[in-house]
Amino acid sequence: YEWSQDRPGPGAPPCPSPCQCEEDGMFIMVDCSEMGLSSVPASLSPLTTYLDLSMNNISEIQPRAFHRLHLLSELRISGNQLRYISGHALQGLHNLKVLMLQNNQLERLPGDAPWDLPNLLSLRLDANLLSEVPAEAFRGVRSLRHLWLDDNSLTEIPVAALDSLPSLQAMTLALNQITHIPDYAFNNLSALVVLHLHNNHIQTMGSKCFEGLHSLETLDLNYNDLREFPVAIRTLNKLQELGFHNNNIKAIPEKAFVGNPQLQTIHFYENPIQFVGKSAFQFLPKLHTLSLNGATQIREFPDLKGTTSLEILTLTRAGLSALPLDLCEQLPRLRVLELSHNQIEDLPSFFHCSALQEIGLQHNQIKRIESSTFQQSTSLRALDLSWNMIGWIHPDAFASLHSLIKLDLTENRLSSVPVGGLGGLTHLKLRGNTELYEAFSPDHFPHMRVIEMPYAYQCCVYGSCDSYKPAGQWDTEQSTNEELHKRTVAVYPVHADTHYDPDLEEFQLEIEEAKLQTSVQCTPTPGPFRPCDSLL
Amino acid sequence: QHKQLSGVTSGCQQGGCLTCSDYNGCLSCKPRFFMHLERIGMKQIGVCMTSCPPGFFGTRLPERNTCTKCRSECDSCFNKNFCTRCRAGFYLHLGKCLENCPDGLIRSDTQRECV
Repeated sequence: YEWSQDRPGPGAPPCPSPCQCEEDGMFIMVDCSEMGLSSVPASLSPLTTYLDLSMNNISEIQPRAFHRLHLLSELRISGNQLRYISGHALQGLHNLKVLMLQNNQLERLPGDAPWDLPNLLSLRLDANLLSEVPAEAFRGVRSLRHLWLDDNSLTEIPVAALDSLPSLQAMTLALNQITHIPDYAFNNLSALVVLHLHNNHIQTMGSKCFEGLHSLETLDLNYNDLREFPVAIRTLNKLQELGFHNNNIKAIPEKAFVGNPQLQTIHFYENPIQFVGKSAFQFLPKLHTLSLNGATQIREFPDLKGTTSLEILTLTRAGLSALPLDLCEQLPRLRVLELSHNQIEDLPSFFHCSALQEIGLQHNQIKRIESSTFQQSTSLRALDLSWNMIGWIHPDAFASLHSLIKLDLTENRLSSVPVGGLGGLTHLKLRGNTELYEAFSPDHFPHMRVIEMPYAYQCCVYGSCDSYKPAGQWDTEQSTNEELHKRTVAVYPVHADTHYDPDLEEFQLEIEEAKLQTSVQCTPTPGPFRPCDSLL
Repeated sequence: QHKQLSGVTSGCQQGGCLTCSDYNGCLSCKPRFFMHLERIGMKQIGVCMTSCPPGFFGTRLPERNTCTKCRSECDSCFNKNFCTRCRAGFYLHLGKCLENCPDGLIRSDTQRECV
């Protein structure tokens, strides 16, 4: 809006001084914000539809201050010093839809003569000093849809007051001091879609505390003191987004989400979870991300029957020793599989995981890679097998990995590495394979940028040492910009069918990196004490 | 004196500022205020507000209060997944901005809602 203090045209409603006004057809919108006012301006036109009194020094609203403003639709009184607003103060606002009272010092709400705002849709009471809400407080705002009560001093859920709000669709009670959610706390809120309870001190919940929330889609219990898994969610069959991260929960029981088939995201990191029921994550056909870190009591891979849309599965620092043979049949859309820090010995075939782009298997006990393991993993871009016990890789193991750009085999027991299929690599790590003496010719890796070898002499083929540079040696310094552009584009070939949509920031970073680095960075770099000639 | 945004004066005169500079406006806000970076030409001005501007929703956290953009089809929203008013051409139903209303409901262009 362009507000102005210019005198309105003839017949136009007067603009109260020192406010600024904007005509809205025959109506008027009045902005008195940040004008040092200590009371509501007296001469407000009945044709006022919008009134902003925010950020002033108003500590009290005179009775009937707005009684002529029957057409007022939005009233903003946030950022003042109001301690109490009686029901009489808001008389006459029959058409009010939005009332903003946040950032005041409200200590209580009227209980005996509540506000009569029959058309109110949004009520902001956040950032005040409310320690309780009288049972009758909301009796006159039955059409309310959106309620902000966050950042107050509530110690209990205002159960009785909420009973008057059958049309409520979104509510936040976050940042209060609530410790318990009783049974039937929200029993009459059948239209509620969003409920935020984050940053309270909730320790316990009644097993029927969410009864009545037939429409709830988002439940936010993050940053509380819950010790038990919230089994009360079982009645929330429309739930799509659930958060209980940063709590104190140690176990996720069997069939934990049996009542929530619509779940798409579950955030529960930063919990000391030790045990997860094998059937906990079954039959969640819309779940696309599952992250479990440090649940040391997990011995078996979870049964993910019916959770067919999973794209990202992270299950690290647990006690897994094997993977199900039908892993990819259960999870055909898997894109990222992160299983580091387990005790996995044998790998199934990832044949049916055609969308798989990233595999993290570092810090396991894998000994062999068969020809079938990564067969048809044509979308695979990054494979981390470092810190295992791999002594043998089938010659055809990597044959179909056309999209692979990063391969980490650090700290294994390899004496040879099959290069077939690895032509697209830009990063290859082989450090710590003390039996691997072979020096790989650059011709195998035309796109290589960073390579780590067990011994320095293996870097000489990359022109990394002055004393050993035979004529005709492929010299990386003279790459022209055009060749560099071609190579850079090749690093990220666009596959129409791949779902990998690289993080734009990372993608631009890598392009910049490519421009800077025209030579292959091979380590360990040969030097006086690491000569080019192999000492053996 | 014109204002860029209803209820907010730019620069250091804002009531919600804790620290500020004449060039960048608010650098930090008083407790319980929302920090929002408002773009004016090439500059970004820090603004401290009691509610986020249209098209953004506020999230209150113990250490800070932030403004986050609503979905593109929302004019205003309660959180990322719940709109409270739709853009023209979209109609509100249970927090979603739809191009077509569910069976049994019709589109109200004045309210931009399924009624």
